[in-house]
Amino acid sequence: MATAREFVARIDAIDGVAGCLLVRDDGVLLGQTLDDPEVFSTLLVISNNLSREVMEKVGFSYCQHVSFSRSSKRNFYLFPIDRYLLGVVQRTDSYVPDMLEAVYRLIGRVTTGNSAGGTSGG
Amino acid sequence: MKQLIDELKAIPGVVGACVYSSREGLQETNLPGIFRVDRLAAVGKQLTKLYAAGRMSFDDLTDVSLHYDESVVVARELQKNLLIFAICDPSFNHNLLSMSFNLLQEEFQSGQFSQADVAESAPATPVPTAAASASQLDARQLALLEQMKGKLGRVLGPMAGYVFAEVVEVWGRHGASAERLDSLIELLDKEIADEDKSATYRRLIATELQAFKER
Repeated sequence: MATAREFVARIDAIDGVAGCLLVRDDGVLLGQTLDDPEVFSTLLVISNNLSREVMEKVGFSYCQHVSFSRSSKRNFYLFPIDRYLLGVVQRTDSYVPDMLEAVYRLIGRVTTGNSAGGTSGG
Repeated sequence: MKQLIDELKAIPGVVGACVYSSREGLQETNLPGIFRVDRLAAVGKQLTKLYAAGRMSFDDLTDVSLHYDESVVVARELQKNLLIFAICDPSFNHNLLSMSFNLLQEEFQSGQFSQADVAESAPATPVPTAAASASQLDARQLALLEQMKGKLGRVLGPMAGYVFAEVVEVWGRHGASAERLDSLIELLDKEIADEDKSATYRRLIATELQAFKER
């Protein structure tokens, strides 16, 4: 069973990740390694809702992630995980495919409250 | 405009693209017919909001990409109020598409294409802007709208100003007047899309509406 803080610490340790945060889908912050999590948590909630609306309009089945590409290369990623939203800031020198694969691998290992395990807020 | 998005379609993995104006709706598309035009217009609207939200957090935002199981949607603001978005297979070449977006954006910014070109390529009926809609109102009515916009922020958060402007624009198409305030509130209800939040919003604006009607 992974706690939110452990999960955030593991994501943060992935090569290429500059920082991350985990919020509940209502915006409540569960863990973070960023300086200004409030800005990011609001963006996560808004983006999650809008990406879901796009999904429904077009008829897609599942949103894997949303990425905000920046000219500074400090791209920002949203990963919806059941009732939780993970935000990741990319390091400028990272190799994105490897970083994304590592994040996905870790997300895959985490079981949420819907199953036997749980990502708790502790 | 059509030729430009047809060039994007030549990129391996790109299914097609659309140009969406936040003022005039869907301007052009070369996506297959399975993507209904009304749905694409709705997608354009949501992507415009998403892009605006991203821009509020990141001054140097370039693209927003939504990665779904079946497809990837990539959006770029060509110029103010004009968004281009492409729907691609998951295996598409993001760098190539991004470079093509850069070229398109440069063409727009250098004035080779303008909003007028976009309008010419689309037979859409021009619609009044939020400002034009609001200009039909007197100072007291405008003050009420400002108050309503402020209260919407307590329900919708940072996107409230954007949402309110869009709704006022739609409302104004049938004439912006004090007599049609109920219709404006109904349109806002649809945008809020949550019964509890709508009820909260109606409670929040009740005092202002009452004061406005009593004068």
